[in-house]
Amino acid sequence: MNRPKIFLIRLLILAAAIILLGSCAWFPAAQESPYRLAASWGEKGNGPGQFNEPTGIAVGSREVFVSDARNGRIQVFDFNGQYIRQFGRSDEESSELGRPMNLTIANDELYVADYWNDRIQVYALDGTYRRSIGTSGSGPGEFNAPGGVAVAANGDLYVVDFYNQRVQQLRADGSFIRQWGMTGEIGIRAGQFNYPTDVALAEDNTLYVADGYNDRVQVFDQNGDFSHKWGGPFAMNIFGPFNGWFATVTSIAVGPQGNIFVADFYNDRVQKFTPQGTFLTDFGTEPAGPAHTTIAVAVSDDGTVFVADYDRHRVQKWETN
Amino acid sequence: MKTIAQFLTGIIMLWSSMVLSAGTQYDLRVDGLSCPFCAYGIEKKLKKTKGVDAVEIDLEQGVVVVNTEEGVKLSEAQFKQLVKDAGFTLRSMTEKPLP
Repeated sequence: MNRPKIFLIRLLILAAAIILLGSCAWFPAAQESPYRLAASWGEKGNGPGQFNEPTGIAVGSREVFVSDARNGRIQVFDFNGQYIRQFGRSDEESSELGRPMNLTIANDELYVADYWNDRIQVYALDGTYRRSIGTSGSGPGEFNAPGGVAVAANGDLYVVDFYNQRVQQLRADGSFIRQWGMTGEIGIRAGQFNYPTDVALAEDNTLYVADGYNDRVQVFDQNGDFSHKWGGPFAMNIFGPFNGWFATVTSIAVGPQGNIFVADFYNDRVQKFTPQGTFLTDFGTEPAGPAHTTIAVAVSDDGTVFVADYDRHRVQKWETN
Repeated sequence: MKTIAQFLTGIIMLWSSMVLSAGTQYDLRVDGLSCPFCAYGIEKKLKKTKGVDAVEIDLEQGVVVVNTEEGVKLSEAQFKQLVKDAGFTLRSMTEKPLP
């Protein structure tokens, strides 16, 4: 055989191997059954139990808290969708909500990322206003549209700072500790962000970041060092509808077994992964349009998944089959 | 005759004051409005702009509707920058006087 022919054959074998490996790694099969839609509640409006664009969700031991963004309030329900109370509308500037986004419950308090007022609002779970953290700006401890927050056991806050393209770690009093990402600069490399939208902390303080428009999840270890990332080929802003790919990540939550649940907004679904990013399953509903459904996700202690359905102005409750 | 003239004068003055007091409606065509992180971002930027009276997002049409206060005009270049700051690209823009 002549050399060019051998080279061509080797090239074809290499290409076939890459495609085969790629198809395994980039188009993984589901390892679990999809979840079942057990209930949903809500419709468009401003009355109790109605929503005008729900954008965030958190679950306590017996209650579901929902960001009702255009109504500027938090609504609280039991696990069956029974309305309980609301808060966030106030004549006091300090305690009001602008556009509440992703939520977190920690130490019996609700942390609300207030996108319009550039601060984190903290409430007791009964709705009593406790304090505000942060102001507008791009300096340390300042925010330009915070999208989500996570809270460590020692009270440290991890705040996604959407237009500042960073995640900040702050002490409980709001003082700056450190940040990930370059302020105001979009990036695609590890540790850089493209409009990050939410964060979640595992029990061991591993930090999971929903890197919104990079269509990926980035993970940082307990020391804050970059650990790994996933979302499409090379996790480099290649979006798509396939298993393990994203089309704008808008919310992230850690489940009771340590698995990671990700709201994949433009694909109208939640995707479930192992902490290492191995795809497990996905589930969701089609939108009525023109918006999309799955904007935020939260998981209860028993593994029930709650979703804020932005398009249909409702909450979805998903259970395992 | 004098009463009719006074009446007509009053009508004309009322009409002209309405015309002079009206602001402008701008319809900004922008892609990607169906994500609230984006839509709220652009609303926030525009509402902080001096002279902007109201901002509404029309998801069906993919349009941001901006109403300005009396006598306030904003240029396409200003809108382009505001939209860019919010992470979007302004595709096109139309304007008309508010009734």
